[in-house]
Amino acid sequence: MQRGSTVEQIPSSMGAQRDAIERARRTLGTIILGKDEQISLALSCLLARGHLLIEDLPGLGKTMLAQSLARTLGLTYRRIQFTSDLLPADIIGVSVFRQDRGEFEFQPGPVFSQLILADEVNRATPKAQSALLEAMEEYQVSVDGETRALPKPFFVVATQNPGDQIGTFPLPESQLDRFLMRVAIGYPNEASERELIAGADRRAMIDEIEAITGPETLLELQRSAARQTVSEPLIDYVQALVRFTRESAEIETGLSPRGAQALVAAARSRSFIENHSGVFPDDIQAIFASVAGHRLKPAGSTQFRSPSELCQHVLDSVAIP
Amino acid sequence: MMRAQPRGTDGALLSSLPWTLAALVVSLVPHVPYLAFWITGAFVSCAAWRYTIEKQRRMLPSRWIRGGLALVCFLGVLATYSSISGVGPGSALLAIMASLKLLETRKRRDQFVLLFISIFLVMSSLLREQYLWSLPYLVVSTLIIMTAWLRMSASEGESAKQSFNTGGRLLLYAAPLAIAMWIFFPRLATPFWSVPIDTSRGMTGLSDTMSPGDISSLSQSNEVAFRVRFDGELPQPKDRYWRGLVMTSFNGRTWQASEPRIAAPAREQLEFIGQAYSYEVTLEPTQQQWVIAMDMPMEWSLERTFMGPHQQLSRVTPIEQRVAYRLVSYPSYRVQAELPRLFRRFYTEVPENSNPRTLALARELRAAAESDLDYIDAVLAMFRNEDYYYTLQPPALGSNSVDAFLFDTRRGFCEHYASAFSVLMRNAGIPSRIVAGYQGGEINPLGGHLIVRQSDAHAWTEVWLPDYGWRRVDPTAAVAPERIDYGTRDAALDGVGVSWGFSAPSQLLQDLTMAWDMLNMKWNDWILGYSPDKQKSFMEWLGMDEPSRRKMLLTFVIAVIALILLISGFMMLRYRPPNKDRLAVLYNRFVKKTGVDRRIGETEQAFAARAARESQLPAEAIESVTIAYLNARYGPGVPGSEETLRQAILKIA
Repeated sequence: MQRGSTVEQIPSSMGAQRDAIERARRTLGTIILGKDEQISLALSCLLARGHLLIEDLPGLGKTMLAQSLARTLGLTYRRIQFTSDLLPADIIGVSVFRQDRGEFEFQPGPVFSQLILADEVNRATPKAQSALLEAMEEYQVSVDGETRALPKPFFVVATQNPGDQIGTFPLPESQLDRFLMRVAIGYPNEASERELIAGADRRAMIDEIEAITGPETLLELQRSAARQTVSEPLIDYVQALVRFTRESAEIETGLSPRGAQALVAAARSRSFIENHSGVFPDDIQAIFASVAGHRLKPAGSTQFRSPSELCQHVLDSVAIP
Repeated sequence: MMRAQPRGTDGALLSSLPWTLAALVVSLVPHVPYLAFWITGAFVSCAAWRYTIEKQRRMLPSRWIRGGLALVCFLGVLATYSSISGVGPGSALLAIMASLKLLETRKRRDQFVLLFISIFLVMSSLLREQYLWSLPYLVVSTLIIMTAWLRMSASEGESAKQSFNTGGRLLLYAAPLAIAMWIFFPRLATPFWSVPIDTSRGMTGLSDTMSPGDISSLSQSNEVAFRVRFDGELPQPKDRYWRGLVMTSFNGRTWQASEPRIAAPAREQLEFIGQAYSYEVTLEPTQQQWVIAMDMPMEWSLERTFMGPHQQLSRVTPIEQRVAYRLVSYPSYRVQAELPRLFRRFYTEVPENSNPRTLALARELRAAAESDLDYIDAVLAMFRNEDYYYTLQPPALGSNSVDAFLFDTRRGFCEHYASAFSVLMRNAGIPSRIVAGYQGGEINPLGGHLIVRQSDAHAWTEVWLPDYGWRRVDPTAAVAPERIDYGTRDAALDGVGVSWGFSAPSQLLQDLTMAWDMLNMKWNDWILGYSPDKQKSFMEWLGMDEPSRRKMLLTFVIAVIALILLISGFMMLRYRPPNKDRLAVLYNRFVKKTGVDRRIGETEQAFAARAARESQLPAEAIESVTIAYLNARYGPGVPGSEETLRQAILKIA
């Protein structure tokens, strides 16, 4: 199933860009109830050209989030269900011999879409995983010695079920690093849940979503977000945070320079979405747990039970300069 | 080959030079009254010259000019003071060389030298005097010098006020250390250094000779001569005679002290009667050897002090610094009931052919009187009943000053009466001598102590009568009894006030004077008078057994370490990462104003939300400051954003 936008009006003025973001947020908010923070994070991730890993139990709306993102942003969307017998070719595509023309023709795989939902990514073998991860990193794939560029923009939203242990291949740290953010959705609150139970079918609602932006607009928004001001004191703050993760006894491996870059990039988008005049420490803190959570390796003796607790500890220990 | 140094200025020192000049001015101020006029003038012109050079980016004077000026000034100091050692010439030399150093101040290093000089000048002013106001002066001048220092190394954006605040903070940090040092560092009985003090200034108050005819106007100095604190009740005003020095020889015009050739030990001649008074005297420096005591002292605590043959207390060394000592005195006493013939002659000597009319009068009165006592009464009655006046502005007298006073002018103050009375006694063969000292004193109701001023200086007579010994006779009391009962101030001011249309000094002024005096007394008692003895008893009070220098030094070291630990602990607790920019400083001021502590890692927005709940400030104000701060500090640096923040914070205040 492929959905594309037809005619796209690219907003150039700041006002129009803000308007587009606001509308996208509102639309997403009507589908995924009570999860404004996660919506905001997911949008920040996409605006920062990052890939998103959603890690949570089944039935919490992971797929719905990915689908409605694609619809709202007017992107072509494919879903790949990762299974243990998934082959790289199932992702990338294959060259098929066309007898009528007497030549090979490349049949593009699902990876050639603007937004891909890689469902239950940890169920596939490392071989299949790495095919996707390579595409995420390079924004291109090589098939039969030929390099093919992926569409622009290109996003991967992967989901993973942390509860599953048997028959899974958890992503190694080096590959987790490819995802800009890892977010958990969590249970909805009581009021939202009530509305979900009583309300209309979400799938039908998704189908009715009208695209608010298109690929071109999204690229424009990405460029604007990347221009958000990052001031000297903010860099001081990021450096202090990174330094703390490297020096703390609670953490075995701290943030890498790439991790620091990721923090700033995500915070830029967040600041853009929040309509801040520059990147504020608040923006850093808002995205910190989702950007740093899967990049920090806690020490064996740590007293913090989850990555988000550990991240909160970091934020509570480093003064804002 | 020597490369000539560039002499031009580029205005780089323009921002810090005024501060350096201010530091120099402040450090010179206490020296100005002692400096020769030309030195102050030289400093002012050098400072103005140097500032103009910097302002107009001119050339500094050449090496030859500077060298010539230095030589001229050095010789000038030598000529003015005829020495280059001692406090006076030393500070003069320092002042003039600092002025000249200005003319070659090109770099920061030269400015450092100037500031070192100003610190030294400030300290050297303490060698002269340490008054109560010296302390505020020290604080202010050190603060200005510190500011000047910080100005030199200040970064571009730093304001003078910031430097001033930093300087103040540094001084505050140093203060506990200085106090601990002052309390615990072992005091020495003698000062570390011994500096020749200017004696050329002359002495106020008592002098060691007395020539009544020379003085035609006695200046009324309100300076404090000494203060007295009595243990119990105060003696009657008529008993408050403070002995200073005793003058025994008269040359027809001038009285002065002289030693009798042989004398019995002074204390053996004394016999004390009646009530004793014990008290403590804090004597201002006199540069003289005599020691003030209430008539008649029996015991005194001042070291190396002895009673002379005329019952005059003298210390072996002159009193160059303020001293405090305890005494026990008896207003009633008998002294030297037996006076050998030889001494009678010594105490009745008058030059031949001087004051003939006085001699005639004495013979006439003595012949009419039945006894010496009657004669004394007759003379006193003469002063009382005839036209003799007490005045502080007596006419000048001729060569036979006693004659002129007794028969012609008939106006005078204590010295005139004491001198005339004494001569009349001697002419009649009665041994007599003059005691110069102080009489009376003013009670400070706040401190309960007695203040004796230079204007309370007095002279009276002692006559020797067989069986009675030396007896005090105060002829001034016969003329102006109120002088003795109320003190000079009232006696002299009474008429003046009415004729000039003034009333007596207002009560407020009086109260202020007394309060100031009490402060001075406390300052003398506790700060300047913190002697080895007082330190020892203070240490004992603190609970130290048998205080010794070693123990005190040890305590001092421990106290310093404890202080440093305390201060660094305090700073650690209060530690916030340094705020490099002004915006953060402004924001922190706002945080302080809210009265809510910002937690570590708390974002501005989170803090604003909490402050809106927890502080008294209106939420909109908090929000507007927060937004202005975030925009200014983290935004794209729009011009005026700092001003917006300032305005937002000002609105709160």
